[in-house]
Amino acid sequence: MDYLTEFFQNIGDTLSYMASLSVGMLDGVKYTVGLFFITILFSIPLGLCLTLLRNSKITALRGVTGFYVWIMRGTPLLLQLFFFYFGLPNLPFVGDYLILGRFQAACLTFVLNYAAYFCEIFRGGILSVDAGQYEAAQVLGFGKWQTNLKIVFPQMLKVCLPSISNECITLVKDTALITAISVTEILYFAKAAVNRDTNATAYVVAAVFYLVMTYGLTKLFNWLERRFHF
Amino acid sequence: MHMIEVTNLKKSFGSDVILEGVSFSVEKGQTVSVIGPSGAGKSTMLRCLIDLESANDGTILIEGQPLLQNGTYPHERQRRAICAKMGMVFQNFNLFPHLSVKRNLMIAPLNSKTLSPQQASEKADALLKKVGLDGKQNAMPSELSGGQKQRVAIARALMMNPDVLLFDEPTSALDPQLTGEVLAVIKELAQEHMTMIVVTHEMGFAREVSDKILFMGDKRILEEGTPDEIFHHPHDPRITEFVSKIL
Repeated sequence: MDYLTEFFQNIGDTLSYMASLSVGMLDGVKYTVGLFFITILFSIPLGLCLTLLRNSKITALRGVTGFYVWIMRGTPLLLQLFFFYFGLPNLPFVGDYLILGRFQAACLTFVLNYAAYFCEIFRGGILSVDAGQYEAAQVLGFGKWQTNLKIVFPQMLKVCLPSISNECITLVKDTALITAISVTEILYFAKAAVNRDTNATAYVVAAVFYLVMTYGLTKLFNWLERRFHF
Repeated sequence: MHMIEVTNLKKSFGSDVILEGVSFSVEKGQTVSVIGPSGAGKSTMLRCLIDLESANDGTILIEGQPLLQNGTYPHERQRRAICAKMGMVFQNFNLFPHLSVKRNLMIAPLNSKTLSPQQASEKADALLKKVGLDGKQNAMPSELSGGQKQRVAIARALMMNPDVLLFDEPTSALDPQLTGEVLAVIKELAQEHMTMIVVTHEMGFAREVSDKILFMGDKRILEEGTPDEIFHHPHDPRITEFVSKIL
């Protein structure tokens, strides 16, 4: 009987410990979620602009965007984060004007980095749109922008949705990187709790936070894919 | 004034010559069929008329206005304005897959603001009825048969009230049993004196419906005439050979 009481007592203690950890981490969620939404909000339109430049008739524009994508995809996100936070202020002459807050630096890095990935995702989607669609739009009197907005983008989006979903889920997990520049997001609190209590439970709690967010995103994109089925 | 007048049209892709000086004219209300062996340049010629291909030389007058004058194109704006008088139906339909049948019809007049949403909706319903697809308003293109898709494409082209309709092998992607329903719609338009140019391999259709037939071969028009002249009294032995093989 004593053993059983002790067993339940232990479970109760663990749960209340986890609950107290969660309360602390909830405070970090605002940075995780904030970074996620800011990145999505700005990197998708920026990625789309980059795609249009990448498909431009002007060779120089194609070259510049190609170079940009190469740099942003070709170097570690963590390195870029360090560069924008620690590196920019050390640049000669302009450095003094480029001192960013931790979260600002994180947002800037993520937007610029994810825009490069979205650029390539959208480029693939645009390539998948049949040439006949452009011809039909032209003979029906569509302008270039009308063709893009009303004919090409919706079809591109359908093709791109699975890749966008993938990218969004990666983004949720990548937000944990900003703990490296001491933004107090979820993993920052977890790490602090583990060090303080010499107990790894906080990592499990943090994992649950990420799983809940990625689960929600998975469901959202499944729904979107069904809606965009034509 | 001719509805369409083409003089000495030349087109090549790199060193590959496709059209070596094509001249013909189409009168208002005429149905003109363009026949001939594959690779004769029929489709390219048709695509030049509506500016989907840029020609290298020649003159194209649409209702007297120059789309191409002695090898020179006017400003982009004028090219578009001239082509807006024409509609085109493609071999592969090219319906917009993300829009319902009715939206496919309405999108162009709404874009160009030539019709109000109310007018566009009424006109779309009327045209779908005309091509025998009343009740398919909310269907998606992927739910339609090839013949139905092509009839939607014809209705879509008619939404813009074109003075001329161009058909680029409208039945070549269809099963034989589905070609009939599409040809019936084109015949009906011919009876209403819509001006049409039809590139086709359907000899029976060309003979029955056309006011004039252009026989293209070897990068030029070898002969033009009434169906009777082309099918029964051709001057060029290549036409005799082609016709005997097909019929």
